[in-house]
Amino acid sequence: MKSSRIPLITTLLVLAFFYLPIASLVLKSFNDARFTPEWKGFTWKWYERLLERDDIIFALLNSLKIAAVASLTSMILGTCAAFALNRYQSRLQDAHRMMINVPLVLPDILMGMSLLLLFVTTGISLSMGTIVIAHITFCLSYVTLVVLARLQDFDNGVVEAARDLGATRFQAFRKVTLPILLPGILAGGLLAFTLSIDDYVVTFFVKGPGTDTLPTHVYSMIKKSKELPVINALSTIMLIFTFLIVLTSQSLVRPINSKS
Amino acid sequence: MNRRDFISTTSAAFATTLLPSCTEQKKTLNVFTWADYLSEDAAASFEDKHDCKLVIDTFDSNEAMLAKLESGATGYDVIVPSSYVVKELQAKDLLLDLDHTKLPNLKNIDTTYLERALDSEMKVSVPYMLAPTCLAYLRTKVPDAEPSWSLLDREDLKGRITLLDDMREVLGGALMLLGFSLNSTEPAELEEAVKVAIRWKKNIAKFENEQYKTGIASGEFFLVHGYAGELLTVRDENGDIEVVIPKEGASFNCDDLCIPKTSKGVDLAHSFINHLCDAEVAAQNMEFIGYRAPNAAAYQMLTEDFRSSEILFPPDEIFAKCNPLAYLGDKLPLWTSAWEKVKNA
Repeated sequence: MKSSRIPLITTLLVLAFFYLPIASLVLKSFNDARFTPEWKGFTWKWYERLLERDDIIFALLNSLKIAAVASLTSMILGTCAAFALNRYQSRLQDAHRMMINVPLVLPDILMGMSLLLLFVTTGISLSMGTIVIAHITFCLSYVTLVVLARLQDFDNGVVEAARDLGATRFQAFRKVTLPILLPGILAGGLLAFTLSIDDYVVTFFVKGPGTDTLPTHVYSMIKKSKELPVINALSTIMLIFTFLIVLTSQSLVRPINSKS
Repeated sequence: MNRRDFISTTSAAFATTLLPSCTEQKKTLNVFTWADYLSEDAAASFEDKHDCKLVIDTFDSNEAMLAKLESGATGYDVIVPSSYVVKELQAKDLLLDLDHTKLPNLKNIDTTYLERALDSEMKVSVPYMLAPTCLAYLRTKVPDAEPSWSLLDREDLKGRITLLDDMREVLGGALMLLGFSLNSTEPAELEEAVKVAIRWKKNIAKFENEQYKTGIASGEFFLVHGYAGELLTVRDENGDIEVVIPKEGASFNCDDLCIPKTSKGVDLAHSFINHLCDAEVAAQNMEFIGYRAPNAAAYQMLTEDFRSSEILFPPDEIFAKCNPLAYLGDKLPLWTSAWEKVKNA
């Protein structure tokens, strides 16, 4: 059978669709011009400025810290929630399921505003902690749904087999259930991490003095700053790191897959 | 290490991560402002002089900042909203009355601006930075251009113009073309302005707040309506661009320094405002930000290049026609319904 060219063409189209905007951003980070799209000469100056901009680095570190804590916590809580939803059928769990689903469709602005009002009325001062709490509230639902999907395909027989063979409840969980669910939990965590790191609306409302995250800082820079291309430089660096992480994680995962 | 030691050290370490301010004896001043709206030198000299730490927190729109403060968010000592929002904050009783005895540098403030500022007695706010909203065009594409709002009616530019997507700026421009105040709340005058704005809408490509900069730099648009700070930077990159203040006048927007009532460092906040009104600091800030600080004493310290800008320092007869956007208060619905008509036309 003659091989078709259609897969190749679709792949190229999809790649272009995804990566052309990113390529132009990388290119722009080396362009001497601020606004002009035309090429004004190669420069490292935006990268040099980035190193001098403590405020941007500070905001980036804030974002990373918040995303790490929020995704880890929502991984744990989300997995617990998924277990509860999967195992028990009751009115309470129906209500639970609904409340897990609501944050997925709730507008961010509403969530940000209500969280702010909650913090203000309870007298909690706005800080990094309030941002983390807010991020956990919306990340949790995503993790729960991803883990729940994984649990629905889960064969309970293997756990029962482990118990029959003398494993304690905890051993069965640690050696059987967790490894099977882990890809789902990690996928949920990764989703939570991305959601947290680029959230703007909720973060703006619940952030306190000195807790600017990268998105809130960048949005503000768009308004008055003369150094916006610094963000292109930062994005390029973040892109390189993302690719490196994805590449290493793929090379780590591959041997396990090929064995099975 | 025994268990008690372990518990005490780990809990102390944990507590320090939660309460960074407690380990530090230095005073901190929390400023809620726009990103890149304070020169690094001005910030450093303030920290040195008052032995304190300056924490900058940013917002990206007046309305978002207002919503946040109104809901009761606290922790800020100095905020930097636009003038019309200062009036709204004042009406909602969120701002502290300034103590002029702590602000000796207020003598530097430019009185030619101050007399038409919304808070001309500087009761709750001190003007920080101002810049006009103006027009920019490509010289080669717009021959014999007259600096006027009537440029927006030129047939030969049809489909190559952008206007800001902002009711205050667009209807304000139309009002000035008609010879009325840009803050008019007379229904009849607004009615006429709506007609002008609809005429403009038929001639322009689109209402646009972000892309106009790259649009005019790349030659896609011939005439754009935008903020002076950005247009002047674009002009530096494309020599064909001319930035003008229409002869009928323009809005000259100002961002002001205020202290919210909830501030816990009122003294330091006053010192900060006073510091920014210092002539040398104001000059540094102007060159860094690219806006004009209404600080008469600072003008002579500016570089010749900056001082000669006809946009930031327009001739007296033009400057006399430039005004800040006023707070509309309960007249706002009049404007929103007028803007609705333009948008739906």
